[in-house]
Amino acid sequence: MILAWQFIIMIALSCAFFAWFLFRPINESLSGEDSNITINKQRHDELKSDINQDLIADDQYQAAESEIISTLATELRADQKESIAIKPLPWTLAIILILSILSLGIYSQLAPKMIPSENSLSEPMSMSDSIERLQSFIEENPSDFQALKMLGLAQIGIGNVNESIKAFESAYLINSKDIDLLLQFASAIAASQDGQFDGKSKVLIDEALSLDSQSIQVLYFSGIVSAHEGNLNDAIEFWEKALYLMSNDHPDRNIIEEALGTVLNLQVK
Amino acid sequence: MLIEVGHFALVLALIISVVLIVIPSIGLYQNKISLAQLAKPLVWAQGFWIAVAFFVLMSAFLSNDFSVKYVADNSNTQLPLLYKASAVWGSHEGSLLLWVFVLSLWTVAVSIFSKRIPSDLINQTLIVLGAISFGFLLFLLFTSNPFERLMMSPLEGRELNPLLQDFGLAVHPPMLYMGYVGLAIPFAFVLSALIRGQLDSTWIRWTRPWALVSWSFLTIGITLGSWWAYYELGWGGWWFWDPVENASFMPWLVATALVHSLSVSEKRGAFKQWTVLLAIGGFSLSLLGTFLVRSGVLTSVHAFATDPTRGLFILIFLFVVIGGSLVLYTWRSSLLQQSNPFSLLSRETGLLINNILLVTAMLSVLLGTLYPLILDTLNLGKISVGAPYFNAVFVPIMIPGVIALAVFPYVRWKKDSLSRVFNLLRFEWICVVLLTFLSWVFITDNVFVLVAVGLFIWVVNHVLVLFIKRLRSKAKLSMSFIGMIIAHLGIAVFVLGATVTTQLGIEKDIKMNIGETQTIAGHDFVFNGVIPHSKENYSGFIGDISVFKNTKKVAQLSPEKRYYQTGMPMTEASIDPSITRDLYVALGEGLGGGAWSVRIYYKPLVRWIWLGGLMIALGALFAAIDRRYFLRVKS
Repeated sequence: MILAWQFIIMIALSCAFFAWFLFRPINESLSGEDSNITINKQRHDELKSDINQDLIADDQYQAAESEIISTLATELRADQKESIAIKPLPWTLAIILILSILSLGIYSQLAPKMIPSENSLSEPMSMSDSIERLQSFIEENPSDFQALKMLGLAQIGIGNVNESIKAFESAYLINSKDIDLLLQFASAIAASQDGQFDGKSKVLIDEALSLDSQSIQVLYFSGIVSAHEGNLNDAIEFWEKALYLMSNDHPDRNIIEEALGTVLNLQVK
Repeated sequence: MLIEVGHFALVLALIISVVLIVIPSIGLYQNKISLAQLAKPLVWAQGFWIAVAFFVLMSAFLSNDFSVKYVADNSNTQLPLLYKASAVWGSHEGSLLLWVFVLSLWTVAVSIFSKRIPSDLINQTLIVLGAISFGFLLFLLFTSNPFERLMMSPLEGRELNPLLQDFGLAVHPPMLYMGYVGLAIPFAFVLSALIRGQLDSTWIRWTRPWALVSWSFLTIGITLGSWWAYYELGWGGWWFWDPVENASFMPWLVATALVHSLSVSEKRGAFKQWTVLLAIGGFSLSLLGTFLVRSGVLTSVHAFATDPTRGLFILIFLFVVIGGSLVLYTWRSSLLQQSNPFSLLSRETGLLINNILLVTAMLSVLLGTLYPLILDTLNLGKISVGAPYFNAVFVPIMIPGVIALAVFPYVRWKKDSLSRVFNLLRFEWICVVLLTFLSWVFITDNVFVLVAVGLFIWVVNHVLVLFIKRLRSKAKLSMSFIGMIIAHLGIAVFVLGATVTTQLGIEKDIKMNIGETQTIAGHDFVFNGVIPHSKENYSGFIGDISVFKNTKKVAQLSPEKRYYQTGMPMTEASIDPSITRDLYVALGEGLGGGAWSVRIYYKPLVRWIWLGGLMIALGALFAAIDRRYFLRVKS
């Protein structure tokens, strides 16, 4: 858990605030009965004003007046309950427990495992520095999926294709259902095979397609695999579907349109 | 670091909402007042931590903290300060945080301005609001976390959508959300009355001012959105019947019905069942709007399938809220049955007609908005339902509504006679026919404009006569009455503005060479060329167009063509505004040899559209501060 002391101050402040109001509760403003009596009295005054302004006929006035009276009669309840006093301390302790356990528990599930330091924000690290930092982080957290995936991306960024494949392989063992990983992993393998999307690379893309057949990226890669296999009709189908799904200003639109254009030209020839 | 504090503040707010749902409920049901009264401090603390989270995110934008994914995706160092601040709600995660922040502001406001409201009712209402904020905080934290970190922060962020780099983004979404989220307050009052089984005069009384204020904000938000689209999109339209616009318009229609229905329930104790349904419907539609916009289904039904988590969450939330409310309604419906009879010709009937027309209009908009989505989902093809459908269906439904709003304020409560009303309105009818005839002779023979002029005169006449009558009767002028007068006048102003600008507006899309003149509606537009221009985050061209009327120069217009960092071109229209007409010019493309394509619009009375909207909002605010809502109740 990171930054625990700030969080404890936040929890403590909240608990102190609630404890104050448990020991010194806010007074009740007024009861429903008092409110209904006053409002219906006011409605009655308004009715009188309405008749003066000719907003209601004389013969209807009596009916409206009796409606107000009967409404009030139904709204008044005889069963007034006595308020029960509480012991504030157990409730305060309960709130402290709920706030501390639940907030810290939920935050520990949602929080990032690593926070960029102030230095890293002001002075950008080189790719090798980043890789070193990631590797040391992974040594401490060997099952951190995001870190492994990030390491794979960073390695391929500096041309270490084999290291990249290793990192992706480890990430794949932790989570084989992440579409982004499947595509990056497939790309890294293809890079090690002179750009050929076959073998394991093809299997990974097929897995991604079976997980999400509506993903634009998956459709794009599936089109590439089909084109490499010579199934131009399949490639066209995948890319046309991707274009159908993406908005007109999607940044990858041009890439897919270009690929589609190339394949269509090939078909014509 | 600050970002983690913001993130944790949201988690803390979530847990406080759990405590808010549980502990005051125990207090209410076991009659332990101290526990029930804890609802207010819980709301304040929750509001405080949500505010902390909101301002932490804003500070991340202002300080260019690109280690936060949301900041890196929506801002960069070149973005002007105002747009950095408003970029907080420029995309999904931030706009949801704004939703939650606005809800917490409303909830805190309810807890503060509640001295005249019985404690039981207010505590139960705060619990319901706590449950709503619990749902949204859960959604925010588990599917749309705005504080998500990037493992490696980029040196520069992405471009905020250039359409959003405008003052409109700073004001339109907060106002719209104030209205959208504000509808949660009448909903919470209704739900707490249903839960407590006390559907008495008190909840109706205290629901109305909140409904009026949120309706007012919604009106301002929609009006600002229309104004923003008019000057920003570069083709002079003010309403597009776009699904996102419809998503905000549908709750507005129901909220309009609600404020009218509440006035009958408050004054005469009638329509209680209907009022309850409208309060539930208004908030449900605001949730439906959030679902449609935020799930991605409006872009494509397949967008929902691509990222189903968010859409599915809102769908489940929508189901729980609407389903739960309707179950409660059915359970308590026997308490809502009250017989306060009224005759066919009475003010109650008028308000009922108003409600039926508004709800029918809402249903027609709902059908037009959802129909393409339903067809697409069932793979029955892609169709687009646009302005022709909406104009053909919506306008005829609303015309009788405008006529009725000028008749029924004259009609008595409970029962009236046709002869009395006819005698009262005799002078008005003669006046309307005469003035419309004069308009036909001297102004225009356009039938639509004549109908609009007739309706305008009809409503103005009714307002003036009603006002004079009230002064003569020496009765006190209540804020509620003044509010009604202003809002009804606003409707008339809007109808006239919208009809005249649509029917008599002129548009020209032309190629202009340097020195060339184009004449539109008696105005000569002279194109003097363009000059290159650049600012910190874009470069482009500024056009130079002089406008003359009868050889006298009346305006100098400078439309812009901008190219942002992403290469996205943007058209910035230049407008010479006035109350009677707008002269509107937008720059198209350079056509070589100094020539440019230029769009020129003459827009008569276009400002009346937004003036009408603001008058409606102002009227609602006046009605909300009526002295009856400052009633002192003695225990």
